[in-house]
Amino acid sequence: MKLKMFILLLFTAVCFAGPDMTKSVVMIQIVKQPYDYATPWKQTSISQGVGSGFIIEGNRILTNAHNISDSRFIIVKKENFAKKYPATVEFAGHDCDLAILKIADETFFDGMQPLAIGGLPEVNRTVETYGFPMGGTHISVTKGIVSRIQTDMYAHSGADGHLVVQTDAAINPGNSGGPVILDGNVVGVAFQGIRQADNIGYMIPTTIINHFLLDVNDGRYDGFGSLGVSIFEGLHNESYKEYLNLPADTEGVVVTAVTLNSSAENVLRRNDCITQIDNYALDNDGMIVIYGQKYSLSEAVEAKQIGETVDVVFWRDGKKQTGQLTIQLNRPVFEFARLYDARPPYVCFAGLTFVSANRNFLETWGREWMKDIPHILRYLMSESQTLNTDKLRKEYVVLSEILPDQINLYDGDFLNKPLESINDQPVRSLEDVRKAFRNKDCEFFIVKFISSDIPLLLDAKQAHQQNDAILKKYNVPSWTYPEEQL
Amino acid sequence: MKKTFIIILICVSSFSVFAKDISEKLKDSIVYLQITYHGYGQYTPWKTSELSEGFAVGCAVDGNKVITIASSVADAKLIQARTANQNDFIPAQILTVDYESNLALIELDSNSLTKPFKPLAFSEKYVKGAGVSFYWLSADGRMYNGRGFLDRVTVESTAVFCSQTLTFVAAGISETTNLGQLYCLEDRPVGIASLSGKEKEGNIIPAQIINRFLADARNGKYNGIAMKGFEASALVDPAMRKYLKIPNDVQTGVYVANVYTIGTGSDVLKSGDVLLGIDGYSINPYGRYEDRRFGTLAFDSLITGKTAGDAITFEVWRDGKKQILNAVAKRFNASDMLVPWYEFDTQPEYAIVGGCILQKLTKSYMAGRGEDWQGKVEPHLYNYLINEAFKPTDQRRDLVILSYCMPANINIGYQNLSQYVVDKINGMKICRMSDIPKALALNPDAKFIVIEFEMSQPAIVLDRSQLDYAANSIAQVYGIDKMMNIK
Repeated sequence: MKLKMFILLLFTAVCFAGPDMTKSVVMIQIVKQPYDYATPWKQTSISQGVGSGFIIEGNRILTNAHNISDSRFIIVKKENFAKKYPATVEFAGHDCDLAILKIADETFFDGMQPLAIGGLPEVNRTVETYGFPMGGTHISVTKGIVSRIQTDMYAHSGADGHLVVQTDAAINPGNSGGPVILDGNVVGVAFQGIRQADNIGYMIPTTIINHFLLDVNDGRYDGFGSLGVSIFEGLHNESYKEYLNLPADTEGVVVTAVTLNSSAENVLRRNDCITQIDNYALDNDGMIVIYGQKYSLSEAVEAKQIGETVDVVFWRDGKKQTGQLTIQLNRPVFEFARLYDARPPYVCFAGLTFVSANRNFLETWGREWMKDIPHILRYLMSESQTLNTDKLRKEYVVLSEILPDQINLYDGDFLNKPLESINDQPVRSLEDVRKAFRNKDCEFFIVKFISSDIPLLLDAKQAHQQNDAILKKYNVPSWTYPEEQL
Repeated sequence: MKKTFIIILICVSSFSVFAKDISEKLKDSIVYLQITYHGYGQYTPWKTSELSEGFAVGCAVDGNKVITIASSVADAKLIQARTANQNDFIPAQILTVDYESNLALIELDSNSLTKPFKPLAFSEKYVKGAGVSFYWLSADGRMYNGRGFLDRVTVESTAVFCSQTLTFVAAGISETTNLGQLYCLEDRPVGIASLSGKEKEGNIIPAQIINRFLADARNGKYNGIAMKGFEASALVDPAMRKYLKIPNDVQTGVYVANVYTIGTGSDVLKSGDVLLGIDGYSINPYGRYEDRRFGTLAFDSLITGKTAGDAITFEVWRDGKKQILNAVAKRFNASDMLVPWYEFDTQPEYAIVGGCILQKLTKSYMAGRGEDWQGKVEPHLYNYLINEAFKPTDQRRDLVILSYCMPANINIGYQNLSQYVVDKINGMKICRMSDIPKALALNPDAKFIVIEFEMSQPAIVLDRSQLDYAANSIAQVYGIDKMMNIK
């Protein structure tokens, strides 16, 4: 009897002891060097950081994208092992702040144990967060209660919102990328906290992790898509409901604008009222019941991969209708999400440097960039979805820097202005700028700017003659990136 | 003996750079103005702001009239004067105020004056580097003075006003001057203090502007100073001049970049013109001309030095040749602008419809966001200020915005909507504030009032039958005595 009891206790202890985290959680040491988006052939200063990660199936290490973004060199360390293993980024999803690292030296995984991915934790459950906060050499564990699950902004991109799980376990620098464990399974990746609050930490839930892992199965990360509409949660007002010819018991959201080039263009229009997405009924706050709780309707969309479809039920002019939308990236022409890793493209002609207007460029103004940037850039950034009616526009192009030379001495007033056209050809991308300056037959380059009443004039012949000398004088490797001959 | 003579000479000449102290002489010409202000809140336009008080210096110019700076009397509810010889306050009222000249003519109650004023005549003299003295009267009737020297002449505006006017700058001043203090060169008044410049510098509204203002005000109908109706940019780049086909022997001209719908030149100039000269004065590529008395000045002074209604001549380079354009100098009030730069002495216009506060967009409204407001205000509103403010049209005289919704049953669902530009009400385009009552009265049998906005924003739909009840309830709950103030 005693033996039986002992065996039972031993069995229970083995079952609930959970995995040994020293065999799963790793320290990641990173050397970073981002690009300078105003003078894009340069890189900014080097910095070093520490993060956490953990091993998942397939000899891969899952971590946060913000740990490894703009990295130049990555080392992974196991607890209690002195050896440092160089690693490379296999996939990075900056919008969902997740990344997968690979280690060429397969011996790294000897004796290591991949963690299994679990489900969405319930509120009020106790979870454990593992990692290497503040650079310690041993794995740290903190316990916390799951206090809330909701859609929130992901700080890494600064623009994308997804589901987050809030806990009262502290998430400190270095913790990021570590697993959050419940019943021996990963229920999240620790990723951000709130500076102003005590002990509020956030983790990326498994719904997002699973989306990411499924996405990269085809060897490419595509990202999270959207429906391609702007919505208003205004059906709380009975008059509004009646004005839109909706039955009294209708609940849903109202379409206020349809994104240019989205799949919704052929299906939805302004003032349509969406009441259902797939099998999820929407309420007047734009919430659906999913994972057993009420979450934003974006959860129904985020559950899908790019290219998949959703069925929508909507009301228009008093009639119930159905349609199908393809989930697409639908990124704004003025990219508001921070970009990482890729060298920014540019054109540098006659000392005039042109770059794409995006958040990275705006952030070169410093911490207070949102209020310090020139008005026209703030205006385009905030309202690009409404202001841009050009279906062919890929981006806004800005004159970001002038490398002084005789030929551009008087062009300072045009700095940081977005381009409208060159020689009356609309500028919808950097490629249009390249194309315009390849022209060697015109007398002038007449560069017009959005919201500016005076053009910038370049003597075309002199500009071509001076171009190489200017590039050489200021150590610019090529007149354009991606590189090509002028 | 020779050495002593030189020392005396040095002392005499050094003293000569300072004007004489003429405080006693000015005692009957300078008044202390005590001003009580009571403006309106920009975000609660039905409410007055807190009472405040200030003071200014007035200078006698004619009988019982004194001149001071307009910015000191903006939003004044009560003005009282005190002289050096009279302890009790003398009631005063504004006769003419011109915020563009930054001057105000104030009349003191002649029955309350125990001793007549000695009017001052302003001299248009300017001597660069000469010592100047300035004078003011304190609340307790004592005359004070300070000193500085005339450093330069510029063409400047204050932060609030639209026009750029001739300005003297006194440097090395012993006291801050920005409230109408009287500046004298030798023993002659040459201007009054308008605002503080850099440290130990004071801007002076010169006699040239004061005399023009007084002459205009004396006519009974004040015409005001002419104001620029266009923007010009430097035209220095040889490539640009070559592109515009300006011959090498023509070394003058600025590029007319933007022509307004109001102001001087707005009816004759075109965007893309090159402005070569005004009234026979050549304008250099940086937009400056050679003034016969003051040297190089910004060309704006050639316009703001005129009274509205005067003739003005523009010489332009247009279509590959020089042309002379004859025009009439024009002014406009800030209230004529699509987005007024300021709004003084009046309650902001507003209409509260179902708790939704509709009001006119003004610079003052945006500046209500506090420090760094330009970077905080919604960019689509700020865009109207910086790109469209001087371009009202017949289709749009005011920019009407939804400032916010005061929560009430009638506007549930709309309570987070704010800072939108109103496009239509009940299908009618809203051109000006006074369109609101007309639009609300449209389609009286329709069940709903519909307010539509720009920039793809959702509409606000209100049940017409609930409006009166909601208005009463909102007025009671939020303490609003008047739901609409439209002129």
